[in-house]
Amino acid sequence: MKDTDDVSNKDVITKLIVLSSRHMMPGDLLYKIYALQKDVIVKETCFGAEVSGKKEDVNSLIRDIRILDPYGIFIKERGFPIGDLRRCRATSGGGARPGFHQIEVEAATLPLMSRALLEYDMGVKSTTYEKPAKLDVDVFKKIIADCLHSL
Amino acid sequence: MSKNVKIAQLSCGTEYSGIQPEIEAAAKQVNAEMVFADVDYDDIARIEEDFGLEVASPDLKLLMARAKSIVDGKTDVDAVFVATCFRCAEAALARSEVRRYIYEKTSLPVISYSFTERTTSGTLLTRMEALTTMARRKSLLAREKQTGLTAGIDSGSTTTKCVIMKDNEVIGTGWVPTTKVLDSADEAFNIALESAGIKKSKLDALGTTGYGRFLIGDKLGADLMQEEVTVNSKGAVFLADKQKGDATVIDIGGMDNKAISVHNGIPGMFTLGGICAGASGRFLEITARRLGVEITKLGDLALKGNYKNIEMNSYCIVFGIQSLVNSLSTGAKPEDVAAAACYSVAEQVFEQQLQEVEVKEPVIMVGGSSLIAGLPKALEDLLHVEVHIPKYSQFIGAVGSALLVSGLVDTSKK
Amino acid sequence: MSKILIYPTNSLVLADLVDRFGHEPLTIPQEIRKKVTSVGLDSPPLNITPEDPKIGLKYAAVEVPSGVRGRMSLIGPLLERAEAAVVVSEPEATFGCMGCARTNELVNFLIRAKKIPTLELSYPTNDDDARDFVYKIAEFLQSSEVLKHE
Repeated sequence: MKDTDDVSNKDVITKLIVLSSRHMMPGDLLYKIYALQKDVIVKETCFGAEVSGKKEDVNSLIRDIRILDPYGIFIKERGFPIGDLRRCRATSGGGARPGFHQIEVEAATLPLMSRALLEYDMGVKSTTYEKPAKLDVDVFKKIIADCLHSL
Repeated sequence: MSKNVKIAQLSCGTEYSGIQPEIEAAAKQVNAEMVFADVDYDDIARIEEDFGLEVASPDLKLLMARAKSIVDGKTDVDAVFVATCFRCAEAALARSEVRRYIYEKTSLPVISYSFTERTTSGTLLTRMEALTTMARRKSLLAREKQTGLTAGIDSGSTTTKCVIMKDNEVIGTGWVPTTKVLDSADEAFNIALESAGIKKSKLDALGTTGYGRFLIGDKLGADLMQEEVTVNSKGAVFLADKQKGDATVIDIGGMDNKAISVHNGIPGMFTLGGICAGASGRFLEITARRLGVEITKLGDLALKGNYKNIEMNSYCIVFGIQSLVNSLSTGAKPEDVAAAACYSVAEQVFEQQLQEVEVKEPVIMVGGSSLIAGLPKALEDLLHVEVHIPKYSQFIGAVGSALLVSGLVDTSKK
Repeated sequence: MSKILIYPTNSLVLADLVDRFGHEPLTIPQEIRKKVTSVGLDSPPLNITPEDPKIGLKYAAVEVPSGVRGRMSLIGPLLERAEAAVVVSEPEATFGCMGCARTNELVNFLIRAKKIPTLELSYPTNDDDARDFVYKIAEFLQSSEVLKHE
């Protein structure tokens, strides 16, 4: 593992790992990441973990991590380094920033995404869901006329 | 060290416009900090239904949810700053309604502002100073009577004014054009002292306001250096004897304008305009010069004219004046031109500033431009209400300073 | 591996799906990262300065609000690199963390105007929708029109 001070150059990226897993908690994830012995910084979060390090190290770790639970681990890049005070509510006027609410709402959709990904890999056919078309105007007119007539 | 004031920031676009550091720098200069109300996703998801305004931009939903959190008492703040991008219609609707919502549902001072990427901390400073004064000095702002012997100096961009007050009466005044800030202040101060027949050493306290307030205040050892929004609203309701209930104070200055909603003598919502010279006293000065009349005579001339006889294509101080000059060359009457100039300034203030505050009667117009009779008349036509011009209205900032600083004498010296 | 612009440009779900199917998601944090790690820039929190909305003039005229132009200064470069796009319309309020509806409208127009292979789909409203959502993205990312850029 590296010291935080070393991670300041432009080749360094940070990725956010969000769990939607039945058999892995953020603590377990952290343990697995440590076990991979990559040259990255790791921080546990309420949704999973953040990892920061050189691009190739982070991307290599991400590939290994996905294998642990292909349908329960979701990943995106994060602009700010881990623990950046500029984006921390404790040091910048309190109040969650929009990014927090974003993860909150996207995390809620992950169980559906997990299941869909699993079904896709299993070859389950999609029941293509068509949105109902707008009501035909002549039919609508007739309904209105019928309603008015019955008043 | 005075208490650190917490200003809730309700905004959209400040970070992406690059002006968030400017907002925070202005707040820091007046010993305040910007805070952000904490809300849940559910609060954001429900807010359009709760608040009643539908918006497409998620950041505006967040803005409204944060406003509700303040109104519901879940977030403890001392003042509210509402800011959105200039030229965004959706944001302007949300900003205006949120500002009204905070004003009506809480006793917190609130200001709204539309910014561009050119907004600086300097532009925001006076606004932040007024906002924090309202939050920090409510007891001082509650003062309704001047006591003892005090002086107030208003160092404006065009003129410097001074009054001496004794036992709730103005006993001396001084008025000079602003040239060198300190010299003009000395001159106005000396004229006022002389007209009052008072020696400087006899004064209990001195207050300063206007652009030069800090420079003059430091030099003369002022007891209070206060921005114009606070002192003008206090001065206006004092001079107009409208200290109880609602009032609206309008001051069209040499460089910028103030429109302030006042309740029981305390400003609650205000706008400061300074973007367009066409909405300032400067427009009337140039018109007077083109007509070859003294600025003091322009108003009376305007009262004899009809603005409708002049076609003006622009509010702009360049192109609007061009319209006036063109009409003169085609035989327009000078009184119609004077009336059109007053109407043009009043109309732009009406369209661009008075929409930002609650205009409640009585409407009190103050500042030097209030004496240009055509201007308050044009505002009366636009607002359909009577506009009050109190005695000494041109000395408004100086009177407000002398009044407020006497409150400090009571508590600290007596 | 193709460069896929996702919209909303910060979406976890979209970024993950693109990465999972072997492509490079073009997302706004990549641009934010460049800003916040630039030595010498000090305009917290995002290190966007008043110069950035001026850079945004390349995509939107001066009468467009500064917040839109500031956002465009970040999204514009992603758009220029994009070889294909996945766009989700009418998402939940904070899905993908795009705060400004006017920017959304402009970006969606610019994506269409670029005439790159683009998958446009609605935000799912139920379980069947969600499956359809994932399937459509998966098929698109493995389609010949996207793979031809590799």
